[in-house]
Amino acid sequence: MPERPAKLPASLPALACQGLVVGYGDRVVLDRVSVEIPGGCWTAIVGPNGSGKSTLLRALAGLLVPRAGTVRLQGRRLGEWRRRERAQRLAWLAQTPGATDLTAREVVALGRFAHGGWLAHRDVDDDAAIDRAMRATGSSRWAGRRVSTLSGGERQRVHLARVLAVEAAVLLLDEPTAHLDPPHQEDVVRLLRAQAQGCGVAVLSAIHDLSLALTADRLIVLAEDGLVGQGTVREALRADWLSQAFRRRIDVVDHLGAWLWRPAVDGVPDA
Amino acid sequence: MNAARSTFVAAIIEGPAAERVPIVRWLGVCFAVTLLFTLGGLLVGTTSMATSIHWLFAPNAQSALVLWQIRLPRTIGAWCVGALLGLAGAVAQGVFRNPLAEPYLLGTASGAALGVTIALLASGASVGALAWAVQLGLTGAAVVGAAIAIVLTLALARGVLQTSNLLLSGIVVGFLLSAITSLLLLAKPELWRTLQVFLLGTTAFLGWRATALLAVVLLVCALPATLLSRGLDALTLGEDTARSLGLSLPVLRLALLGIVALATAAVVGEVGVVGFVGLVAPHLARETLSVNHRHLLVASPLCGGALLQAADLVSRWIVRPAELPVGAVTACVGGAYLAYLLWRRTRDA
Amino acid sequence: MIGFRGAGMRPRLPLMIAAWCCLALALVLAQVAGAVVLRDDLGRSVNVPTPPRRIVSLLPSLTETVCALGACDHLVAVGRFDDWPPAVRGLPRVGDLDHVSIERIVALRPDLVLLSNSQRASNRLGELGIPAFAMETDRYQDIARSIRLIGALLGRPRRAAALIAHIQAQVRRVSAAAIAARHGASPTVYFEVDPTPYAAGPASYIGGLMTQLGVRNIVPANLGLFPLLNPEFVVRANPDIIVVSRIDARRLGDRPGWAGIRAVREHHLCVFPAAVRDTIMRPGPRVAEGLRALAACFARYAR
Repeated sequence: MPERPAKLPASLPALACQGLVVGYGDRVVLDRVSVEIPGGCWTAIVGPNGSGKSTLLRALAGLLVPRAGTVRLQGRRLGEWRRRERAQRLAWLAQTPGATDLTAREVVALGRFAHGGWLAHRDVDDDAAIDRAMRATGSSRWAGRRVSTLSGGERQRVHLARVLAVEAAVLLLDEPTAHLDPPHQEDVVRLLRAQAQGCGVAVLSAIHDLSLALTADRLIVLAEDGLVGQGTVREALRADWLSQAFRRRIDVVDHLGAWLWRPAVDGVPDA
Repeated sequence: MNAARSTFVAAIIEGPAAERVPIVRWLGVCFAVTLLFTLGGLLVGTTSMATSIHWLFAPNAQSALVLWQIRLPRTIGAWCVGALLGLAGAVAQGVFRNPLAEPYLLGTASGAALGVTIALLASGASVGALAWAVQLGLTGAAVVGAAIAIVLTLALARGVLQTSNLLLSGIVVGFLLSAITSLLLLAKPELWRTLQVFLLGTTAFLGWRATALLAVVLLVCALPATLLSRGLDALTLGEDTARSLGLSLPVLRLALLGIVALATAAVVGEVGVVGFVGLVAPHLARETLSVNHRHLLVASPLCGGALLQAADLVSRWIVRPAELPVGAVTACVGGAYLAYLLWRRTRDA
Repeated sequence: MIGFRGAGMRPRLPLMIAAWCCLALALVLAQVAGAVVLRDDLGRSVNVPTPPRRIVSLLPSLTETVCALGACDHLVAVGRFDDWPPAVRGLPRVGDLDHVSIERIVALRPDLVLLSNSQRASNRLGELGIPAFAMETDRYQDIARSIRLIGALLGRPRRAAALIAHIQAQVRRVSAAAIAARHGASPTVYFEVDPTPYAAGPASYIGGLMTQLGVRNIVPANLGLFPLLNPEFVVRANPDIIVVSRIDARRLGDRPGWAGIRAVREHHLCVFPAAVRDTIMRPGPRVAEGLRALAACFARYAR
């Protein structure tokens, strides 16, 4: 087993940003956003379309250069990390991962790139990590098939396995449950929770499905005009952040101990 | 043959356990074919096949010269050219994530043609100019021209950050340099025929010196390319994902484009613009073996080498003792193969 | 007749007879209507007033022929490489083998345009109502043939016949002297038209010159006029003499296996200055001059 990144003092968030400003052209998508993603905890980003969920994830992953503000990974600015060291600690999953012609296992093996680099051969540890990740996502069965021949759901799980194979301290996942049917969505949620609680990983995912998001440990709620709030699901519900973010079009109700959303009774349709 | 091929493909698609065996078998077939073509390269020429075979067993002064100083370096040199083009094509298609990318997309072909044109013009212009033109040689002129084209393309695209910009710049520079070539040729249209055969490519004058140079360039290009193969694999997942995996895209692209540039410049300098091999060889390798770049960057040069050997044989054989420009042959064969691929794809769709 | 000598002895005889019939008919018509109708080598009927007063010639050899027939004064424009006789150097240049300024030619209102049948301008000029007469010029017999055709077009058939006879006599004299001066076997020659390597085949006009001098062309006739050779073929043929351009002469030995060729080893290379090379490379009335230059070079290297 490779050394997992050292556990951090509980006070220090695994990943945090401060005063983040990100935009494309003359459009500002995130305006002075500050969030903290603690380790050992699954955080879901929720918000309406266009509120900047993917942008926040990409900025946190260091794929976008912010106009202002800083992102800190384990207390250090992203820019101060060596590229490979950063990639060992921070894994990112795109919303629609490419339909490559590589086999599933080859794709998952790319998750080990940051550990080996150019010259290193894949070693036993890498193979073990790849196997673990593929087992965890249930993608071992099609290890030898070309990813382009897989269904959307199978493909998604392969890419999830690729992210898990990094064995990073922070996982940034853009819609990991997209393309999946409910049982497989549930599998993914269980997986994320296990990563967070079992391995102490900081998991941050954008989740479109509100009911799924409400099963997370913490929520970051975005609206079109910025960050509404961040905190535990209970705090979010108490402060009514979701209703604010979705322009009072939804209600969240308690159904047999699970939070579910439904259309608001007095909601006014958007123009 | 067809059945063998389909089990071959099935084995690759079905499982990882089966993958090892076909690679060995694939390499075996490839080496056998290459060996066959090399033997063909010794036997096919301006003599009858019977004479060539007789020469193998009863050598004389002329047979030694023809077999070992002309035909063998020519066929091995053709292999090197094809291998370089196959490698450059596979790398270019990987870097640009575009199956239609080809080695000449940085404008190298037009640059080399311009270099040759200028050398030809200069050599006719004055006795003083003649001296340097002869010294530098048409090969040198082609390499210099190709290098200038690449520099122009990179400058126009402002570096290697945007692949779409690079592709466009390559096209623009290619057109621009071709236009200059045409304008220069207006001054001396009798050079057209020389240049045209250069543009079609010819393996006719590959000797041991050229072959050795090509082999060295092949080594210099292939080693770093295979080292970078995981980067090319990562690139197939998309640029952002590749970056998130810890890749430095500018460094990777610069290194890979450098390889493409060196390989194509050497090829264009020695044999001219041989088209289609760089486009077809990677497809052939992907179709028959694997898309994994660790395999592809070995398989594609092997395919390209064999392809060009075959084209060289055809060009010597069909109208012997005259010959066809080898580039015309590769264009026919490559075009037919691409048409077949397209036909199959549209049929399956 | 020099037109029917040479190795390419398969002229299209029926075609020639038809052409002669046309010519005869045309001459008769010309008496009546003041014009000749001749079929050119692209198979088009071209209607030319006799005698044409405004001539454009787009090929050096054709220009030389027009002048040799005494019609230099009627030339109004020439091709850009037409530099002989010196009288044509001051004329407007309206194009070359591939690029011709149709507009400039039209503006000159020519009543006859002479060009090679590989020049693409002829169809366009024909469409515009300008008599454009295209001639085949690649074969040895085309030298006499084009003189005869131009003579007919210019209404000077007798002068053309005299010119042909004169050239024939000169050629015969050079040829006889060259063969008489040689002792031993006739040398084998490789004539490189360009370094691709394109060679001059026996049926080409250059091949015809070599036949006149009694040297053996290493290129067999069945390969055509200007075949692209496999270089190995030249090495095996091991020619005694190579005719080559100046720039390529220095590098012949660099080609694989070529250093051993007798001509390269003993430096039996015929390299001509541009002006002399023109007389060899142009199938026109100065063919005897070119032949003389070749003969002199071959004699130098004869064993």
